[in-house]
Amino acid sequence: MYDLLIKGGRVVDGTGAPAFAADVAVKDGRIAAVGADLGEAKHVIDARGQVVAPGFIDPHTHFDVQLLWDGAAKPALEHGITSVVPGNCSLSLAPLKAKDRKALVGMFQQIEELPPAAFTDAFEWTWEDFAGYRAALEKGLAINVAPLVGHSVIRLWVMGPDANQRAARPEEVRAMQDLLRECLKAGAVGLSTSFVDVDEKARPVPSRFADFAELDALSAVLGEFGRMLQIVPEFYDADITIARIDQLAELSLKHRIPTTFSPVFDSRFAPNAAPRQLARVEEQFARGARVWPQMQTRPIDISFSLLRPSLFFARLPSWMRTLRQPLPERLAALRDAETVERLIADAGPDGGQAIFGSLVARGGDALPAELAGQTLGEIAKARGETPARALITLSLGHGLEVAFIAANRGHEDTGRIGPMLASPHVHIGASDGGAHIAAFATYGDTGYLFSEFVRKAHAMTLEQAVKKITSETAEIWRIKDRGTLKEGFAADIVVFDPDAIDRGEEHAVFDMPGDGMRYVRGSVGVDTVVVNGEIAWAKGAYTDAKAGEICGLA
Amino acid sequence: MTAPVRQLKAEAAEAVIERAEIAAGHDGVAELALSIRYENGVVGQVVLDPDTGFSVMRACGAADLQGLIGRSWRQVSKGLSNV
Repeated sequence: MYDLLIKGGRVVDGTGAPAFAADVAVKDGRIAAVGADLGEAKHVIDARGQVVAPGFIDPHTHFDVQLLWDGAAKPALEHGITSVVPGNCSLSLAPLKAKDRKALVGMFQQIEELPPAAFTDAFEWTWEDFAGYRAALEKGLAINVAPLVGHSVIRLWVMGPDANQRAARPEEVRAMQDLLRECLKAGAVGLSTSFVDVDEKARPVPSRFADFAELDALSAVLGEFGRMLQIVPEFYDADITIARIDQLAELSLKHRIPTTFSPVFDSRFAPNAAPRQLARVEEQFARGARVWPQMQTRPIDISFSLLRPSLFFARLPSWMRTLRQPLPERLAALRDAETVERLIADAGPDGGQAIFGSLVARGGDALPAELAGQTLGEIAKARGETPARALITLSLGHGLEVAFIAANRGHEDTGRIGPMLASPHVHIGASDGGAHIAAFATYGDTGYLFSEFVRKAHAMTLEQAVKKITSETAEIWRIKDRGTLKEGFAADIVVFDPDAIDRGEEHAVFDMPGDGMRYVRGSVGVDTVVVNGEIAWAKGAYTDAKAGEICGLA
Repeated sequence: MTAPVRQLKAEAAEAVIERAEIAAGHDGVAELALSIRYENGVVGQVVLDPDTGFSVMRACGAADLQGLIGRSWRQVSKGLSNV
C-alpha cells in the first residue's frame, strides 16, 4: 500500500513532455509509480481538473535567517515551491565566527530588511562552521534547501576586519580555498559573490574587495566538485555586466563549473540592455561555457512614502523642493495651506489624477486597514479631494509613513519579456524571496509565470513553464533526484489549477520576530504541496509536516 | 553667423545629457536614468541610485528632470564625485 495517491490529474512531469492523464503514487518520501490503476494508498488526493507537477525550485532566495524559525519559508511553499536556494549575493550564515556575527547581521539587515529581533530572539546561534549551520537548519525544515556559501563570509572568516579593506594575500586565498572545500563537503550547492551589495552603512561587502585571482582560485575549488558560482554583477550597466559574463565564461570553461548571474531585467529606458546581455550569453554557451542569466517574472514597482525623499517626484519641481527639506521643515510646509495649494497646482490641472491617481496605498504600520490596496484616485474620490491633496492629507495624518506603490514601472513589458523567459538560455529566478521584505513582496513569481506568460501571453506552454522551474533548475544546479515526476525521485509535488494559478494581491503582515512587518503575496489556484512525500500545504493551510531536507547533489 | 557656429562646436565638444527619466530600481526605489550623448555621437545610458541622483541634480542646479537636459556630463561627474 502506498502512503499517498494523487488521482485523476493531468501529469506535467517536468521534462517538457505533453501533459498526460495519470495517477501518482508515493511511498517512503519517493515517487513510487506514475500511471493508471496503481492500487490503494493510506491517503488519496483527488486531483481531477488539476495539474500534478514536480515541486518548483526557487534558485535565488535570502531565506537563510527565516528558515531557522520558519522551516516552510512562508509564503514560498504555498506557491508550490518545494526547494529553495538561499545564501545568494555573497551572504550566508556560515561559516561565521561568533565574533563576526554583528558584522554579518548588518549586511543581512541591509539586504533582507529583517528587524533586529530576527537575529536575537528567533533562534540560537549554535554554529560557526557550515556543517553546524546545516545541522541547525535541518531541525525544522518543511521545505528543501540547497544552500550556497557566501564569499563575503568566507573572507570574513579568513581575513577578519581586513575582509572589507583589501585584496587577499596568497596564504589567505589558500585558506579561503580550504574553507570553501570544507563547506562544499558539508553540502553547499556552490559559492555566491557580489560586485554590488553594501552593508547597513553603505560600505561595500567583503566580496567586492576580491581580485580576479581570488575568484579564480575559489572557482578552482568549485571545479573539484562541479559546483555553482553565483554572482551579482553591476546589473545597472549593460557593458560591465557583459564583461562579467565573459569572466564567468572563462571561469566556467577553465574549471568546468556552472555559473549564474542575477538579476537581468528589461527596461524601457535601456531597451537594448537585456537583449545584449542575452546575446552575449548565447555566444558563450556556443563556446561551451555555462553562464545562466537569471530573470525574474514579476514586474518591478516603485515604492515610496513622504518620509524620505524619492526621485519619484523628480518631474515636479515644487514637490522636489518641499519633500527634500529636513523633516520638521517638510512637515511644516505640508501643513501650510499656501504651500499645499502650490503643490496641488504643480501636480497638473487634473489635480494630480494622471500622476498620482493610480498609486496604490499600501498596508503596513501607518495606514488604516480599510484603505490598504486602494488607489489614490479611489481614496480621493471617496473623500471628495483631488489625488494630490489626498496624497498629502493621508500622509500627514499618519506621520508621513504611509507607503505608496507605483506598480509596473520596470520589467513590465510582457511582449518583450515573454520570449526572453522562454529562451533555453534564460534561467527563471531572481525572485529574491525573503529579501527586501519591508519594501515589496518577493513571493508568487511562479504563479505570475503561469498567469501572465502561459495563459495571457502564450509565451510558452504550460509544460515548458513547468520544466523551466523544475527539472531545468535541478539540472542547472545539479540538484539530485528532484524536479521530475519520475519513479525513484523525491516526492516533491504540487497540485494546481492551470486555469487559476496566480499570485495573490500584495498585503502587509506582522509575522516577523518582534511583530516586524513585511509585504507578502499568497498563492491562488494551488491546491496541495507535497514535500518529500508529506503534505505540507493543502486547501489553503499549512500542515505540521517537517519533511524538508538539505538537497542531495549530483 | 559666427557666434552660433562657435556655440554649436562647443556643444559638440562635450558629452551632454540628452534624456532624463525615472526608472524602477531592482530594490523598488525610484532611480535616475540618464541618456548621455557623447562627443562622437554615441548615446549611452547611466542609471543612478537615489542618493547619487539627488547629488547630480544638485550639482547641475536642476529643479526637476527637465532641468538636466542639455547639461554637460562634466557637471554630472562633479555631482557624482560629491556623493
